[in-house]
Parts: sequence; C-alpha cells; structure tokens
Amino acid sequence: MSLFRTLRSIRRVGVREWWHQMQYIGDAKSGTFVGADQFGNRYFENVNQYEEVPGRHRWVDFAQHNYHASQVPPEWHSWLQHIRLNPPPQDPVMLNSSPPWKEPWVENLTGTRGAYKPYNTVPPKITAWEPKTTSRT
Amino acid sequence: MLLAVKGALSSVGRPAVFRTVVGLQAYRSLHSSLPARRAEPSTPIPSSTTSATEPITALAQQGSNQYSLEHPQNKAEYVLSTLDKITNWARQGSMWPMTFGLACCAVEMMHMAAARYDQDRLGVVFRASPRQSDIMIVAGTLTNKMAPALRKVYDQMPEPRWVISMGSCANGGGYYHYSYSVVRGCDRIVPVDIYVPGCPPTAEALLYGMLQLQRKMRRSRKGVLWYRK
Repeated sequence: MSLFRTLRSIRRVGVREWWHQMQYIGDAKSGTFVGADQFGNRYFENVNQYEEVPGRHRWVDFAQHNYHASQVPPEWHSWLQHIRLNPPPQDPVMLNSSPPWKEPWVENLTGTRGAYKPYNTVPPKITAWEPKTTSRT
Repeated sequence: MLLAVKGALSSVGRPAVFRTVVGLQAYRSLHSSLPARRAEPSTPIPSSTTSATEPITALAQQGSNQYSLEHPQNKAEYVLSTLDKITNWARQGSMWPMTFGLACCAVEMMHMAAARYDQDRLGVVFRASPRQSDIMIVAGTLTNKMAPALRKVYDQMPEPRWVISMGSCANGGGYYHYSYSVVRGCDRIVPVDIYVPGCPPTAEALLYGMLQLQRKMRRSRKGVLWYRK
C-alpha cells in the first residue's frame, strides 16, 4: 500500500518475513500472532484501523507452498471469517466441545487420487447388446 | 476377529480414500482408466497428515501418473517441465472466461466480477467473444434449445480451453432434472473441468472454482507428456 506502511511493517517483522509475505500474501502486513493450527498455518490479527483496512485485519499465513483456502481447518475458519469472536485456543466453546467422533480435517483433494468421485447406485441404463441365438433345429 | 471388527467400525463413514488398507485398493482412483501397474505400498497411506512439506495432497498423488509427470527423470524432461511451468504460469495469469450466463447463476457470476470478489485481480476478465476466450463458464440451466448454441460457442473457442460448470442445473440438471426440455448436465454437451456446486453457488464459491482451475492448469505437463510418448 503506502510506502510508509510498508517500511513500518518491514521494521516490525524483519526483511526476511517481509519477503515471505510479498511472495505469498502480496502485501506487507504486521500484527499480533494469534496462534497456529495443527498444519502450521499461522494466524495474525491487527485491529488498529489506521494500520490495516477493516476487513483485512485478520489473516492467515499458509504453511504450504501450494496454498489454498481449504487448508484452513474449520475452527480457525470460524475465527478468520468472524463467525466467532475468539480464536480456537481461547474460545471456551471450542475448547470444551470437541466431539469424539470428529474426523481430522483434510483439505480439498480435488485433482488428486483422493478426489471425491460419485458412484452410481442404480443399474446402468445402457447395456451392451449380447446376441442370444436359438439354435436351428 | 475383534480387532478386525474394530478396524472396520473405525473406518465407517470415512471416505474410501482414507480407509486403512484392508482390501486390495486403499484409494479411490480419480481416473476411470486403470492406473499404472505397480507394487502395493508397504505401509498404508495415512488418512490425514499435518506435515507442510508432505501434505495430504502429495500423499494422495502417490504412485499416480501425474506424480510421475511432475518428477522429471532426465535433463530433457527437466527442461520441458520447466517450459511447461512457464506456460502454465502464463495461462493461469490471464484466464478470460466466455460468459455463458443462462439463468440466475449468471447474477452470481456478475458478483464475482464486481468490487467485492474482484476477479480482475486474478487476471480473469469476461470476454464476450468465444474466439478470444479460453474458459467457458456455463452458468445456469442448459435447455435443449440452447444446447446446440452452447456446443457451437465451445467449438469456436481456441485451444486450450476449459469449461466451468456452475450451479446444480449445469452440473446435472438440478431442479429441472426431470423436465422435458432441459439437458441433464452440461457435461453431456461439452467436457467439463470444474464443477461448482450450489443453487446458485455464491460468488465466493465460483471464485474458489476459478482458483481450482488455476491449480488444474498448474498441473499440466504437456511437454513432458509429448516427450515420453
């Protein structure tokens, strides 16, 4: 954004982290580290409206090089998208209600062998013709 | 015996991909064609991982043709795959969708172009001419009457071209599946790359579909494929 803001962010986070941000986020951001999820994605927040535009004040720094949105687990998604006020490590509901049948979060596997592929449960409508000949007497 | 029952129970409800290896196949193949013959992996593929260097997407690709294509085996393939990556980068940076807005999904498609989701930051610009666009977004109910026009427009698009099927009507007929005048899915007319579910899908979902299409473009290794053949 502005040069002053960029320089301020570089001073706060360091040149190395700034370079990383420019490669992955595309903006020089600085804020408080809120937490990290099980995948190593790091979550930040900066509620100072003069430093970050409201709406861009919560962000994620992905751990993977090939990042995409579904790598954020649902608990952190609810924080990131302002569904819940507190981040999962501080949210009493999140801390106290983790059902035992909950599956570990898996990101979108589209395009890999793990992709969802629907299957048919009804007999096929088109079948190959199998000629049945009756022998001539 | 008890152990086997326990194992079977723990895998109930899990997608077949992540079930522990009990039978022959531990994964559900993405392709309808037979996968390349290979030995069974000695250790079962884990159902989930938190590693950033070897994520679950990498694990799910184990032993696939795509995995083989992405790992060059000699110098020529190394050069070709680098050229492929450059081509992919150029393609994914300027995806020009041909707008085929047919119904209410088209409104959400317009929202994707509007200020909030702002497709232009990804280089996605609507181009109302099939001869200059490389993606077709089929947004809405495809009727029997419209199907020949859709195919004609698709045929006019230059290669390489991709198709995004947007909304349940375009995916499989949706609400109008049993209508006498509706094509039950636009994949009966054109080959579809990305299906965006929803009725209608949000602009966010469509944008996510565009990002998935970028992923798909990034996976392309046509040069290596040509060399190996």
